[in-house]
Amino acid sequence: MPRNFKEKLGSDDFLITAEISPPKGTDLCKALADAELIRNFADALNVTDNQRAVMRMSPVAASRALLDAGHEVIMQLTCRDRNRLALQSELLGAYALGIRNICVMTGDHTTKGDHPGARPVYDMDPVQLLDIIRRMKEGHDLAGNLIEGPPAFTVGAVTNTDPSNTMQMLKLRKKARMGLDFFQTQAIYDTGQFEAFMEETLDIEVPVIAGVIPLGSASMAHFMNRNIPGINVPAEIIERMENAEDPTEEGMSICAETIAELKKLCRGIHIMPIGKHKSTPEILEMAGTRKKSR
Amino acid sequence: MIISSAKPFGEVLELLKDEDDIFIIGCGACATKLHVGGEPEVLDMLRRLEEAGKHVTGWCVPSAACSVASFDSLVEKDPSIKDAGCILVMACGSGVSIVSKVTEVPVYPSNNTESLGGLSQGEVFPELCAMCGDCKIYYFGGICPIGQCPKRLLNGPCGGSIDGKCEVDPEKDCVWELIYTRLEKLGRLDLLEKVWVCEEG
Repeated sequence: MPRNFKEKLGSDDFLITAEISPPKGTDLCKALADAELIRNFADALNVTDNQRAVMRMSPVAASRALLDAGHEVIMQLTCRDRNRLALQSELLGAYALGIRNICVMTGDHTTKGDHPGARPVYDMDPVQLLDIIRRMKEGHDLAGNLIEGPPAFTVGAVTNTDPSNTMQMLKLRKKARMGLDFFQTQAIYDTGQFEAFMEETLDIEVPVIAGVIPLGSASMAHFMNRNIPGINVPAEIIERMENAEDPTEEGMSICAETIAELKKLCRGIHIMPIGKHKSTPEILEMAGTRKKSR
Repeated sequence: MIISSAKPFGEVLELLKDEDDIFIIGCGACATKLHVGGEPEVLDMLRRLEEAGKHVTGWCVPSAACSVASFDSLVEKDPSIKDAGCILVMACGSGVSIVSKVTEVPVYPSNNTESLGGLSQGEVFPELCAMCGDCKIYYFGGICPIGQCPKRLLNGPCGGSIDGKCEVDPEKDCVWELIYTRLEKLGRLDLLEKVWVCEEG
């Protein structure tokens, strides 16, 4: 039997997860084709939940379609669009449909997305949601009622990796106290800072899966530094991108080098290319990662 | 203090397009301090409505529109309210509601009610309190994250702030930066360690 994501988390394997976005529409062909590109590389596909507050297909539906196609999924769940009733019922539905891994997050504010007039919910934050998931796994909902067939989720959360950001580190520790199976991070470019983060959080003992985004150009790096919270592309990487004859190739090389470094520091990587996974297999091969383990 | 702002005059005029014989009620409390329902603003509204061809029967500024006792108490201030076909209330939503409760003609708002905030040294501070009904502000150094964080987070900041600024409004400090600084000054950073979980019942 092939091992699942949870079993691999408990092993010494270096894990590869990859982001897949549900479609803006009802046709799943493109998402499934994108997933097919990385079938032999990704241990699990991370299915986003209206990411950047842009309305897309439900992650439950898209996750189920990916499961049907033989992929393992990690379903993201934000606190932005659902109150405590909806979050719990979504979790029960997801589990009943075969989704075994979830990753919870606050969610970008509705004003940043394509429906800025939407009422943001934020009935609870990820720490509180993690606590509720723990209770559900133990057989009770938030109100203390019995749940038949408690969902045995493998549960992740996201974190910032700047060790000097005291409040972010405090929040990470609160999440860890809720009984987490893994942390997933924002894209890492500064492996020195990431190493300091890993040292700072050594006592937490939650496996860390580091995010990576292949750069396409120097301007993309500048844009992310200015606009994407938690991303810090160091000057020397920007310089390499500026001087590159083929910025796409250079971005792939930088990403592969970063992954090779991260292999020494954490339990896996989470690759989030802008657009499709066309280059992902080549980046992973350049980084010397093996094909997905069984 | 209830923070409210004046609707554009064109919108007020549109609301009143089928009305004449308008009586204006201001508010001697928050709306006066915020200059959206005190005597000067009421008189300015009266002038502009008349310039727009409307007939205004009269006006008054009760000490607080949200605590008007009865119709008679308004008549005592200006009996012309009895001739009014409608009332324009220059107060917050509570003021409009109470005036509606004690009168029998259509009541229109001239303001948009925004939040529970404050005013100090001329500066308006919106959204200081979310009126959650379960005050925890002490744990956050007197700065409420439910009121001031757009995501109402209790356990610490989201990942959305850049350089200490709020994801939603980059002009604003992330409230968690303010809470941290305040608690550090108070020597009570330990209060941030508390994990806030949800409970039902």
